[in-house]
Amino acid sequence: MGTRLPAMRLQSLRWRLLRTVCLAALLGLAVSAMLSYRQAQHEAEELMDGNLAQSGRLLLALATDDPQQLADLGARLATLASAGASRYEPLLEYQIGRNDGSLLLRSEHAPESPLSVAPGYSVIEHDGDPWRLLTLASTAGDFRVQVGQSIKLRDRAALEVARQAVLPIALMSPLLLLPLIYFSVRRGLKPLDDLAADVARRSAENLEPLAMRLAPLETQPLLTAVNRLLNRLRETLDKERRFTADAAHELRTPLAVIKVQAQVAQLSIDAGDRQHALAQVLAGTDRATRVLEQLLRLARLDPLAGLPDAGDIDLAELARQVFAELWPTTATQAIQLHSDDSPLLVRGDAELLQVVLRNLLDNAMRYTPAGSTITVFARLRHGERSIGVTDDGRGVPPDDLPRLVERFYRGREAIAEGSGLGLAISQRIAELHDARLEFENLPGGGFEARLRWPRSSPAS
Amino acid sequence: MRILLVEDDALLGDGIRAGLKLADYAVDWVRDGDAARLALLDHDYHACILDLGLPRRDGLSVLKDLRRNGKQLPVLILTARDTSADKIAGLDAGADDYLTKPFDLLELQARLRALLRRAGGAAAPTLAHAGVVLDPASKQVSRNGQPVSLSAREYTLLHDLLRHKAHIRSRSQLEESLYSWGEETGSNTVEVYIHNLRRKLGADFIHTVRGLGYRLGDPT
Repeated sequence: MGTRLPAMRLQSLRWRLLRTVCLAALLGLAVSAMLSYRQAQHEAEELMDGNLAQSGRLLLALATDDPQQLADLGARLATLASAGASRYEPLLEYQIGRNDGSLLLRSEHAPESPLSVAPGYSVIEHDGDPWRLLTLASTAGDFRVQVGQSIKLRDRAALEVARQAVLPIALMSPLLLLPLIYFSVRRGLKPLDDLAADVARRSAENLEPLAMRLAPLETQPLLTAVNRLLNRLRETLDKERRFTADAAHELRTPLAVIKVQAQVAQLSIDAGDRQHALAQVLAGTDRATRVLEQLLRLARLDPLAGLPDAGDIDLAELARQVFAELWPTTATQAIQLHSDDSPLLVRGDAELLQVVLRNLLDNAMRYTPAGSTITVFARLRHGERSIGVTDDGRGVPPDDLPRLVERFYRGREAIAEGSGLGLAISQRIAELHDARLEFENLPGGGFEARLRWPRSSPAS
Repeated sequence: MRILLVEDDALLGDGIRAGLKLADYAVDWVRDGDAARLALLDHDYHACILDLGLPRRDGLSVLKDLRRNGKQLPVLILTARDTSADKIAGLDAGADDYLTKPFDLLELQARLRALLRRAGGAAAPTLAHAGVVLDPASKQVSRNGQPVSLSAREYTLLHDLLRHKAHIRSRSQLEESLYSWGEETGSNTVEVYIHNLRRKLGADFIHTVRGLGYRLGDPT
């Protein structure tokens, strides 16, 4: 489990949010910059086309058959070309001719494209570069003009326009956006920070539920779960505290025994009295030890979520073992074994199950009068396996039945000594085995205490 | 002096009984609430030491019954319940003192002495009559300043008579304070102890009231 931890990257919600929002914003910005750029380029090209058309129409208006005038025009246009072009005033190259395609006048570097093509825009290759050509025909139908611009030059101009329009936004936006995003995310996550601070401020003892009222909606399911957990923790702690108090209480009587008997031994003059008192001191010590052992066993069982040493157990064999351990016995009751011959298999911890059966048997021997019959049994009935103890004593008052397994509870009729812990331990062991610890006054008189595995519980 | 001990725990009851016997009390020990109720109805005890967590009938219920029946004997609650609420409930139900487990045997004895002294109507720690002084704490008896040596039974008998100065004590009352259940009592033992006391304290110290019992003589 632990080895997997280093591989997992710590996930900060804030960084995740920042990263995602920034990436989305930048992407959006890039797309819109691209679109703006395209749009600007397109507009620039339309503008250039408009220029080209204007020049073409001007030339068409000036076109004439007179060679003298043509030569004049050519010379004047040539001076125009040499006036040094700005980036937005690309060199105008042209051809003027008749409608039949014969050439009248052309600029020095004009592409040699036939004039007879259909009027309109076209793109051609000229001097290794793409050129945009516009061919115009006069309305009277006698002249034709072809004007052209190098696309390279046009593009450079369009690019410049687009760049001037888009670049400032593209550069400025991230600078403005990123801090804005950062502060928004911080502000948005503030309730979460407050919540974390609230939790961090708590002392370990404070298991009060977290306040749901001011918490963000998104954290409510988490808070509910945490509060439920806190609640369970508090209950468990309360139970443990109560248990500690009970346990301390339970140790008081044996300690009182030890003290008072030791004092009696101290004060006694008669040797026999002293020996008796000292023997009682030892008995009190044994009892305190027994209580402690049971408390420790219970403490070790409680935190277990499952059984560490589970195996297949034959309940019939288990009952035989516990029964056999009894002998030789000082019991004043007749004790017998009633166990099915066929194996009754369950999955569990044999030692713990023996503790339960011994506890039940111990109780029966404690609380039934001399001369009664006590039966240890393991049986299969209606498909359900169970082990337990039956007696023909007086049973348990109905009021006491549900309280039997409470820690330190001793029935009102109880006259025999006991810690009152045995059944609490048995209950815990039953839970660990998915079995039920049940007590029943038998209809014909007598009492039965049993550990029963309901039919649904997994057999081995 | 006869005490009823109500304690369900076998080892602890045995210890307290032994401890009280060392102080020459006659102790009857019962182990559940019903037996305690019956014992208190049937016998006149000088005091009762009462556990609270008892089988069959709770100690507090025994105590309330006792007071409802008008019995005045001092009751000391001896229990593992140690909260203030428990102590208040116990004292308010009619207990005269409250001691929690584990406890000191000598303290229990001292508290019992104080209770018995108060119940006898005296605040002073010693009892005195006609020049005879009895100190229950040290169990010393003196006559005109001179120590007198008494046996445990003689002491108990004298203590009983001194505690009931104004009353005639019957033979059976005196026997009750001398012996707990199951102890052998001879037919004329009270007479023997009275005889011994007269010998040690003076013939006039104890008068015989024919047909009724004994009482202390008039102070000289």
